[in-house]
Amino acid sequence: MAELLDDLNSLERDGLDALADASDAEGLESWRIAYLGAKGRLKQAMGSLGAVPREQKPAVGKRLNEVKQSLEAAFEGRKSELGGSGPAKRLGPAIDLTEPGLAPPVGRRHVITRVRDELYDVFGRMGFEVATGPELEDDEHNFLKLNIPEEHPARDPIDNFYVDDPATTERPRMLRSQTSTVQIRVMETRRPPLKVIAPGRVYRPDTVDATHSFMFHQIEGLFVDRNVTMVDLKTTLFQFARAYFGEEAEIRLVPSYFPFTEPSAEFYMKIRLRPDQPARWIELGGCGMVDPAVFEAVGYDPEEWTGFAFGFGIERIAMGKYSIPDIRMLFENDVRFLSQL
Amino acid sequence: MLISLKWLNRLLEPGDLSADDVERALTHAGFPVEGREELSGADVRLDVEITSNRGDCISHIGLAREVAAATGRRLKLPEIPFDITLGPGAGDAAEDATSVDNQTPEVCPRFTARVIRNVKVGPSPKWLVEALEAVGQRSINNVVDASNYVLFELGNPTHTFDMKTLAEQRLIVRYAKKDEPLVTLEGKKHALRTDELVVADAERAVSLAGVIGGLDSAVTEKTTDILLEAATWDPATIRRAARRLRIITDAGHRFERVVSPRTVDFAAARVAAIILETGGGEMLAGAIAAGPELTPPPVVSMRAARCTGLLGIELSIDEMANHLEALGVACEVDAATESVRCETPDHRTNDLRREVDLIEEVARVHGYEKIPVREKIEVAVAPPQESERAQREIGSLLAGLGFYETVTFSFVTAEQAASCAPPGMRTIKVDEERRKGAPYLRPSVWPSLLECRRVNQDAGVRIEEGVRLFEFGAGFLEKDAKGRDTVETRWLAMIMDAPDRQEGLRRMRGVIETLVRTAGGAARNVEVTPRAERRPIDDPDASADIAVDGRRIGVMSLVAPAAMKVYELDAPVVAAELDADALLAMYPPKSSAAPLPAFPGIERDLSIIVDEQTPWAKVANTVEQERPEKMTGLTFVGVYRGKQVGAGKKSVTLRLRFLDPERTLRHEEVDPQMQRVVKALGEKLGAELRA
Repeated sequence: MAELLDDLNSLERDGLDALADASDAEGLESWRIAYLGAKGRLKQAMGSLGAVPREQKPAVGKRLNEVKQSLEAAFEGRKSELGGSGPAKRLGPAIDLTEPGLAPPVGRRHVITRVRDELYDVFGRMGFEVATGPELEDDEHNFLKLNIPEEHPARDPIDNFYVDDPATTERPRMLRSQTSTVQIRVMETRRPPLKVIAPGRVYRPDTVDATHSFMFHQIEGLFVDRNVTMVDLKTTLFQFARAYFGEEAEIRLVPSYFPFTEPSAEFYMKIRLRPDQPARWIELGGCGMVDPAVFEAVGYDPEEWTGFAFGFGIERIAMGKYSIPDIRMLFENDVRFLSQL
Repeated sequence: MLISLKWLNRLLEPGDLSADDVERALTHAGFPVEGREELSGADVRLDVEITSNRGDCISHIGLAREVAAATGRRLKLPEIPFDITLGPGAGDAAEDATSVDNQTPEVCPRFTARVIRNVKVGPSPKWLVEALEAVGQRSINNVVDASNYVLFELGNPTHTFDMKTLAEQRLIVRYAKKDEPLVTLEGKKHALRTDELVVADAERAVSLAGVIGGLDSAVTEKTTDILLEAATWDPATIRRAARRLRIITDAGHRFERVVSPRTVDFAAARVAAIILETGGGEMLAGAIAAGPELTPPPVVSMRAARCTGLLGIELSIDEMANHLEALGVACEVDAATESVRCETPDHRTNDLRREVDLIEEVARVHGYEKIPVREKIEVAVAPPQESERAQREIGSLLAGLGFYETVTFSFVTAEQAASCAPPGMRTIKVDEERRKGAPYLRPSVWPSLLECRRVNQDAGVRIEEGVRLFEFGAGFLEKDAKGRDTVETRWLAMIMDAPDRQEGLRRMRGVIETLVRTAGGAARNVEVTPRAERRPIDDPDASADIAVDGRRIGVMSLVAPAAMKVYELDAPVVAAELDADALLAMYPPKSSAAPLPAFPGIERDLSIIVDEQTPWAKVANTVEQERPEKMTGLTFVGVYRGKQVGAGKKSVTLRLRFLDPERTLRHEEVDPQMQRVVKALGEKLGAELRA
């Protein structure tokens, strides 16, 4: 009996040693056939169990079982060490992991829309909601109620897209030249407090070049409540600058003139439009405290309500942020351009 | 406006500012310096931007006043060695030598005339030539230069006539006669209109009021007697004439931005003094003024509390008054009412008329940079705006479906506009001069998208699934009747390549259904009905109304072959347009969860042969009307045409789903239902089962 147990011990030892020598899938397979195969050494050893005397059978059988488990476990271990299940088990032709990806056919939202949404994300957090108004307006909303009276140079037909002749038509229709029209639309229909932004298209017959287009996008902001001050205006613009352009953003107001605000200012922001560029001052837009004449035009009492308004161009930010050299590229809609951004 | 640093310093006490100092002060006050040029003689020329409300600052004195206020200097007015209305001496009276008839005081609030005799017209002295050159002006002669100098110094345009050329040596201010001729200084002959103002002598117009003088009354080397006009005009009247005649002058530029009547006499006296200094001669006593009496400067009361309330910064009432005094506003603090009584200075009578005008000046002098910003902001939290979320979700969904969003111009050509205007509606156009070639407002976004499609075709863009574009954009139409009933619709427009027209339509329909269900929930039902009302852009065989739960919200069409040709497109295109506001208003989707089936269902495919003319909708209706028991779904699988099916026929495959929520269905239960369906299809549509 001892002899038989010794045989089993050497079978295990030999097997484990030989397994350690198997260094590839092929060697592993030969080993499997030699030890665990139908005619392998383990099977042979099992075959000789029949010759073992009955009383010794449990001990030998137990040992045989141990050896079998040991070899099988070692085989599985070695197999996973060497990786894969060997050429015999491959599911198809050879895999080339370096072949390029197959992109799903996705499109892209326009960069102007995305910048518009980014702006809303920040102003929305400050409590502003989006308001809209028609693009085909009339001079009452584009001019008159914004304190731009008849004969004001801004109303010159050369500088506007009139549909009706302003010389012969009462309340001539025109494409809005500024999103400030939405201020009036909102105030005509609602009572304060109001906190709105109005992003949208505006139209001016500018000569087209790399930075000018006869159609572009503006975003207008309006806040009307009791006791709104210029500190609130500057704070709102500052909070926007810091949230949108980063911690080091600074804001500067410089006196200016707009008929619908007083005091009026241009606002400059010291910002990084791109993370790889140093922060610099850029003139972003106009702002100011809503002129009492505008409140009177919409039936608000300027003694009760005060407010501020601001407006700036969306293209300017999109072009800076995405290094777009020419505004015309935004409106050509070449998919090769759209898919870059 | 170009200014000379030296000139500016002459008007300041002490006059020692560097160009940097001036630039800083002006920028702070709201007059950014856009350019700077070193001149000989240690002078610097600055190009200053001036807002349109500050006509008083289109002059050295105006900007000096601002610089003085910002730097704590004193303003030094030019000295005039005689009384500004009486003149220097007691010679003959001006009113005996000439007269002025101001027939249009409503647009000429002040017109003055002074007479100087025996002037020697010749070259200007060096100081005068240099001053003018410093602001880019050419010296002409001492008399013209004197007038020009004062224009740049004080901002008041004046005009000098050769008195002997004036018929009857008198002036009339009136509107021009119809087509009245005037040869202006630059030698050009103009025919005037009756809404244009002239200064005339007894016979003819001698200048286009406020804009430019006439050639044959101009001062020349031979002139000895001068009539000096100093006036102010209605800005709109001046602008209209200057614009129409395309005459841009320094005088017109200033009158368009308001010259206060109260500044006219000082400027006239200043011109006269320089003429007398440089050309000798005798000034007749007195000045002729024609027009309404000068109105006293406005007096405005500014409440300290209002100022604080608007600016949000704490200033004492004395600080407020000091800031205003720095700009020349005469202030009296009234402690009892806590307000400042402000008398507007002569040069600001036009733009300092209201309390808020003064508050702005307090802020400006105090410095906008001193307005603090807060680290935190007070906010009332509002619910998220559904329309914003909807638009973003729909846009992202379309991008995920392979669509690129475009932003295109709202203008199209007449043909493009007509191609997509529905019958009974009119297209709208802007003033054609402003947008030559494409002055029409698009009724639909399709023409613009088709143009983009062509741009991409020309650029050689290849996308395996075809180019897909979408845009949120307005369409404009007006109702036929009065032409004032404008309809502006915000469209969600889409186009897709459709090499296989049938499949293209199905794909677009699928996109629309996905959009509607995303916005409005899975229960929304999209109906597609062939349209009767066609536009030239719609393929007559393939144009349908899109409705959601019975409400029409848009259109889907193959683009008509003729239109494809216009855009030079190689392959068919399917287009759709949905009323964006209607679509987004469905958001958020109204949905609730239902339990998933616990037992397996049974699916049965059925292929039937029907006439080519039999639409799928009819097949589906026939099956649904039969109401097979336990049927939970009916789907279209496909259509096959071929020899086995026969000419004029098609084979349609449909799939029916059966389910019992309580138990597992057996095939034997479904069989009789299928037989009923087949029978109904046979009876109602003549359908045969395909072998």
